[in-house]
Amino acid sequence: MAAPGLVPIVVEGVSKAFGAVRALVDINLRVGAGEFLSLIGPSGCGKTTLLKTIAGLLPVDAGRITVGDRTVTGPGRECSVVFQDFALLPWATAQRNVEFGLLLRGVPAAERASTARQAIAKVGLAGFEEAYPSQLSGGMQQRVGLARALAVNPRVLLMDEPFASIDEQTRRLFQDDLLRLWSEARKTVVLVTHSMEEAIYLADRVVVLSPRPGRVHEMLDVPLSRPRESSDVRATAEFARLVDDLWKILRKLQ
Amino acid sequence: MRGRDSEVGRAGVIAVVSLLGAWEMLGRLHLSMFVPPVTDVAVAWWRLLGNGTLSKAASSSLLSLAKGFGPAAVLGVVVGLAMGRFRTVRYLLDGWVNALMSAPLSALVPVLIALFGIRDTVVAATVFMFSFFVIVVNTMTGVRGTDRSLVEMARVFGAGEAALFRRIYLPAALPAVMLGLRLGAVQAVKGMVVGEMLISLVGLGERLIYYGNTFLITELYAVIASVLVIALLASQAVQAADRALVRWK
Repeated sequence: MAAPGLVPIVVEGVSKAFGAVRALVDINLRVGAGEFLSLIGPSGCGKTTLLKTIAGLLPVDAGRITVGDRTVTGPGRECSVVFQDFALLPWATAQRNVEFGLLLRGVPAAERASTARQAIAKVGLAGFEEAYPSQLSGGMQQRVGLARALAVNPRVLLMDEPFASIDEQTRRLFQDDLLRLWSEARKTVVLVTHSMEEAIYLADRVVVLSPRPGRVHEMLDVPLSRPRESSDVRATAEFARLVDDLWKILRKLQ
Repeated sequence: MRGRDSEVGRAGVIAVVSLLGAWEMLGRLHLSMFVPPVTDVAVAWWRLLGNGTLSKAASSSLLSLAKGFGPAAVLGVVVGLAMGRFRTVRYLLDGWVNALMSAPLSALVPVLIALFGIRDTVVAATVFMFSFFVIVVNTMTGVRGTDRSLVEMARVFGAGEAALFRRIYLPAALPAVMLGLRLGAVQAVKGMVVGEMLISLVGLGERLIYYGNTFLITELYAVIASVLVIALLASQAVQAADRALVRWK
């Protein structure tokens, strides 16, 4: 596959309701081409809903979302999603799971197999190709989920609380691997998270959503230098100050 | 897992053997003609097998079982898949399926007799009726229990309705489908015996009625034992297919 160009995501005046519940109201947001953006907010702020509308899984009631020059009306080829609950096929091996996106996109079997093997190796799971999800730990399952998302070589990576159900040590190693993979093959990333440290550690910018109905409450730039994965960014005063800034914003929303 | 299975198997064998032993001792006391010693039943079973009575009755029964269960399995899975996936189909059929699943279906056998006459077709139809609904309900439940996020995941990669069905709903429902078939197979044997007893013309059911009415109790038990073995084998056969198909569990 050709190296993908980087595309921006533009969200203009998007509203979304579920029956009488207003999940999103007049969301305006621009994610730059190749930017890593975190979405954070109290539960019920609609951050997952926003991610799903960008993915084309949920139609918007009002407003418009564009990914590159495509107006989103349904799932598109440039987007991959990493799911909170991994969404792995329990009846398929890691290899088959990673091949799944390629299979649905009509990639021939031989190419599928080799692309999936490479993706599995990239996320550090070489040797586990024939394991079933039930035989893997939560962290390893999510690595399979990430490999599946990356195997189709997307321009946009949408992640819905990908590390939420993974233990702390595993999570930190995984976050570093994610940053390394992202710097090797840049993509536009939107990460939904409820962890302030995670939002700041990974992203260029953090968008805070307010709850019920979800609105863009505030944006916070993260001027920490990259690469962050090899340095002790978390131990710096600047990191602590950013987490504190974010906490002050979030505390007022509770 | 293997070890645990064989432990359970051994416990089962011990339970059955000790029950048969107790029965044998009770039978030797000659308390009642309805408790014949197990060994007498075994002798009667061997005699009925030797003179062809049992094999003739069983082959007629098994043919009806196959003629009824085959279509019930195929149609049951198809209807269950449709009901699981399409709300309109579900709304249309749900009431009927629920009503007929809980209805005393033996009461409908006279209708089948009126429809087909006193023939072995009635037995096949009874087998179908007894096994169909449980297969439908299990298949539908399996489809409806499909993990929502698997569906979303497939849609993100561009899956349309056909791909969703083939790649997500069908494999997700397979364990429930196999359970439905297993329960259906047991129901089918029940239907077989009920149908045959009610038309009193062919198969093991006819023998049950005959030996019961003529107080040939040891022969009666020999036929009952044969029916139990058939039910067990039918269930085991589906279970073996289940293990071969659903290897990931």
